[in-house]
Amino acid sequence: MSGKRQSKHLLPGAWLMIKLLTLSLVVLSTTPAISGPREQAKRIHDRITGVPPSAETLEKMVDEIENNNDPLAAAMLAIEHPDFYNVTLKNWATPWTNEEQTPFAPLNDYSATVIGMVRDEVPFNELLSADILYIGSNTPAYSNNNNDHYEAMENQALNLKDELKRTTQSSVTGLSSEATAGIITTRAAARAFFIDGTNRAMFRFTMLNHLCKDLELIKDPTRSNNRVRQDVSRSPGGDSRVFFNNCVGCHAGMEPLTQAYAYYTYEYTDDEETGHLSYTPDNVQPKYLINSSVFKDGYATPDDHWDNYWREGPNSLLGWDQSLTGSGSGAKSMGQELANSHAFAECQVTKAFQAVCLRSPGNAADRSKISEMTNNFKSGYNMKRVFAESAVYCAED
Amino acid sequence: MNRHNNFGKHQEWLQRFAWLLIPVIALIGLPACQDSISNDSQQETSVTSSTYNGPAARTNDIQGFRISVWEPLRAQNRCGACHNAGGQAPLFAREDDVNQAYDAVNPFINRTEPDESSLVTKVANGHNCWEASNSACATIITNYIESWVGDGASGGRQIELEAPPEKVVGDSKTFPDDPSLFTSNVHPLLTKYCSECHVEDAASPQSPYFAGSDSAVAYAAVKTSIDLDSPNNSRLVQRLLELHNCWDDCPSNAQEMETAIANMADNISPTPVDPDLVVSRALSLPEGTVASGGSRQESDIIALYEFKTGTGNIAYDTSGVDPAINLTLSGDTTWVEGWGLEFKTGKAQGSTSDSRKLSQLIKATGEYSIEAWVVPANVTQEGPARIVSYSAGTDDRNFTLGQTLYNYNFLHRSSTTDGNGEPGHSTSDDDEDLQATEQHVVLTFDPENGRRIYIDGQFTDDQDETAPGNLNDWDDTYALVLGNEASSNRPWVGKIRMLAIHNRALTEQQIQQNFEAGVGEKYFLLFNVSSLVSLPQSYIMFEVSQYDNYSYLFRQPKFISLDKNTIPDSIPLQGMRIGINGREAAIGQAYARLDTTINSSDYTANGQLLSNIGTTIASEKGAENDQFFLTFERLGSQTNVYTEPEILPSGAVADSEPQSTIGLRTFDEINASMSSLTGVSQTLSSVQTTYATIKQQLPSSEEISGFLSSHQVAVSQLAIEYCSAMVDDSSLRGDFFPGFDFNINANDIPASTWQDQIVAPLMSRFMGENLTTQPDPAMVESELMTLLTGSVGLARCSGQCAADRTAKATMAACASLLGSAVVLLQ
Repeated sequence: MSGKRQSKHLLPGAWLMIKLLTLSLVVLSTTPAISGPREQAKRIHDRITGVPPSAETLEKMVDEIENNNDPLAAAMLAIEHPDFYNVTLKNWATPWTNEEQTPFAPLNDYSATVIGMVRDEVPFNELLSADILYIGSNTPAYSNNNNDHYEAMENQALNLKDELKRTTQSSVTGLSSEATAGIITTRAAARAFFIDGTNRAMFRFTMLNHLCKDLELIKDPTRSNNRVRQDVSRSPGGDSRVFFNNCVGCHAGMEPLTQAYAYYTYEYTDDEETGHLSYTPDNVQPKYLINSSVFKDGYATPDDHWDNYWREGPNSLLGWDQSLTGSGSGAKSMGQELANSHAFAECQVTKAFQAVCLRSPGNAADRSKISEMTNNFKSGYNMKRVFAESAVYCAED
Repeated sequence: MNRHNNFGKHQEWLQRFAWLLIPVIALIGLPACQDSISNDSQQETSVTSSTYNGPAARTNDIQGFRISVWEPLRAQNRCGACHNAGGQAPLFAREDDVNQAYDAVNPFINRTEPDESSLVTKVANGHNCWEASNSACATIITNYIESWVGDGASGGRQIELEAPPEKVVGDSKTFPDDPSLFTSNVHPLLTKYCSECHVEDAASPQSPYFAGSDSAVAYAAVKTSIDLDSPNNSRLVQRLLELHNCWDDCPSNAQEMETAIANMADNISPTPVDPDLVVSRALSLPEGTVASGGSRQESDIIALYEFKTGTGNIAYDTSGVDPAINLTLSGDTTWVEGWGLEFKTGKAQGSTSDSRKLSQLIKATGEYSIEAWVVPANVTQEGPARIVSYSAGTDDRNFTLGQTLYNYNFLHRSSTTDGNGEPGHSTSDDDEDLQATEQHVVLTFDPENGRRIYIDGQFTDDQDETAPGNLNDWDDTYALVLGNEASSNRPWVGKIRMLAIHNRALTEQQIQQNFEAGVGEKYFLLFNVSSLVSLPQSYIMFEVSQYDNYSYLFRQPKFISLDKNTIPDSIPLQGMRIGINGREAAIGQAYARLDTTINSSDYTANGQLLSNIGTTIASEKGAENDQFFLTFERLGSQTNVYTEPEILPSGAVADSEPQSTIGLRTFDEINASMSSLTGVSQTLSSVQTTYATIKQQLPSSEEISGFLSSHQVAVSQLAIEYCSAMVDDSSLRGDFFPGFDFNINANDIPASTWQDQIVAPLMSRFMGENLTTQPDPAMVESELMTLLTGSVGLARCSGQCAADRTAKATMAACASLLGSAVVLLQ
């Protein structure tokens, strides 16, 4: 900041700041009450794009609501605004791409792919399985070894609505098509969840972000524990009750699913930011076999075969797709298993609802709307429409 | 070389340490020479024997007997007091002729199962043990016999499997379908005291959700936490005893819960085992065949603790090498089920005089190993916390096995270290070798390799950075102490399940062998399935051990027939479950998905392994009383379709507290909004720099209750930046404020012009028009006009304003509105 600008700011100084705060607080203390089509249109635009509408756009939206009785069309007008992609969707997806769940993380191939899939109305249940990637035409080009391509896109404030181009991971990253699994096999997801550890993080955060279920909510100790790996102590600190009451509830069902990721890891040397996704077909990553003496009678992972034990028992309520078999090999088919569950659909709808309503579903009417939108969503998995429907619903709050 | 093939080693040992055994000591405290239990007090433990001048051993086997059994037992304060020449038959301890002693002892030796030898069982049953514990003497004599008769050539003893008694599975109480007993007795306590967490819609929900208002749903969730047969074993009770969120006094709360469960259980009659189940016969742990635990390398053991006594305040050294360093338990030190000691703040310590043998025998070889099965309770203790120590206090030691966080420490006095064993040797920080689980740890020292640490049979690859040195300076006045320092101020929290001190450095192969042999009491449980497969003497056999105080380890399930002429073939086996006390265990059914076939091609004389997975099953009534059985979805032609317990849909979700229907714009939204409203590009250097600086000071959540003054400061900064950029750009400001002349002195611009050409465009653009959700325009206009033309307004100066004041006043009016709630709220 130059000295000239500093002096310009300092001139009104504290006095101006006080005025700003005073005015803001006065205005904040007023309680808006939604009323006519004009206010509804403004709210729809605000919530979908994050920015106020131009006078021209507002008039068009009001017209759709008032004269055509079609608030959904008004919402779809707002969705055409670039900031729906640059702001709303980016901030919707960014917390899913890092363990800290911070929205301040930079744009990356995970979040860009989510944005692109919504823009192009790609069936969203392909999120965890498709051979899909969205990149820009800017420099530097996409790299398997860093995130520079996307950070440049963000720094240049490029219009993601126009800039993002659909392509395939297999053609850009070199990963074989059958090894791709939507956002699971993006570099950013690998950087966050395949790094070090045992790959259980990828599963946990996928459940948390895309089925809205942290493991604590779905633990079921009554599933067979025959796939719990050797690195899990059956008697932590010499007390097996800890295993019975806590550990096995998650591990029993999680392990046979997480086995799908047995060939993946994030490789890096010294700098974590310059690593890349590594896939070793037919070779189980050593991280799956570490600490084998902790419980040598535990499961030693031989391959990437997965089974969904939660199709039975209390977690059958997650609504698994009966047209799928509930078992397979590799991340792609496991991603299909997760993304075709009712819980996945409901989670995406609920997240969109929260993003545009700025609150969680709180009463019977809200829950009914979520249910209705989820059922609609499951025919076509059009995420864009879910945003529009949610915004229309909440415009009447 | 192992315990069963160690004549040579023992011979060397005898020659090397004969000076310890041979001196004749006056006869003191002769045990009585009749069958009686003499365990009132601890007896003299030093061996008192004489020089042997009789005929040499005729065979190698007799020489083995002489070294391993006869020499330690012929002493006058052992069996030699009575079973000597001219004494009480059998004369197996006669000192005049080892060959005749050999002939006398053979009828009392069981070479396949040494612990079943009459020589052992007689003492185990109370016949003149020289220790206070009969089992300690029995273990010592067993070890002697094992040293003698072991046949290393055939790879260890063969276990003779014995057919268990025939027992049908007993009845037990089961949960009725109707939840009313639960509803009236237990549910009220749960909803009253547990509903802050154990309900699905809690702020931080914790499953199981047994405290919801819907008792049917709660009932379905609570079943694994209630034990109808033993209400005090219920998890609901035990958790309170573990101080888990009691509502006032934990013991009385636990009692209240137990009473409620007992009231429920008392109204439930025991129901027979589900007749549809395909079940094996039943077994308890003591009805199994004791497993040997495999061959161990023990030829150079000089102190051994297996903690088999399980009671009292003495842990016996059963190495058979005198003097025994028996350890006295003190402080918070308790016995562990299935052999072991648990330390919290206490210790187990031997006397300095008995401990002297460690110094003497280890200095004689110049090398040693400390071998232990340990279970650290946590990975947070340090000090190092003393696991095993031969020392006098915090500054003086010969050796110590300790714990510092994730590391094992090896302190060791030598000519290259100080009297405190420093510099120490530890496992690497990065490897985190120490885990809070059962581990086999071996420390070795020898003059060639120095100190080494092995965990679970593997060398940790941590090299001792101190030259090995010698042990000449070892102090023989120290005490062996477990679980703490001799001075009691370095406690270690955890369990020791076995400790062996060898006066040789074990090789990696020997360490691996001892690791494979495992630890603790193990049984082969043979579940009779003869009637299910229609083959004689057919069993599913498990190796079962007490895993800790709360569970059993089931491993290595095999199908086996004790009828050697039976060869099973084409017997399908699916869905095997372990039952306990009449019910299938709720947790730990690792074989529930088993799907295999018992075939003649896979079957051997040792049976057919069904799975290499092991599992732990929660204990309920203790090892003596828990009764196990197996169930099958399919075994041979017998089938039973397993049905999952009924899954009830989630109960109705309660409405949340009223939530705000408006919210804040978040960081990117604010930036984009300001850019959109002012027309200034987000990539303009000045705003981009400011935004990057204050981005994380802006709101990250829409929640209006989370709005802080620091947020407002950041918003104001960004608003000033955008408005400054807009007003500085003649094109942008011209578009925004058409007709307004920025070259006129601020003081000369009438209020009406400020109002029409500055305030009005700002309000129109930033607030929108005709929106009832925005603040009252008149109020906003008034605020802005006061800012510009009020008594201390920015556009009003005494005399002429500075030339740039017009732009600055415009920028201030712009920023004050742009950074206010009219933009910030959505």
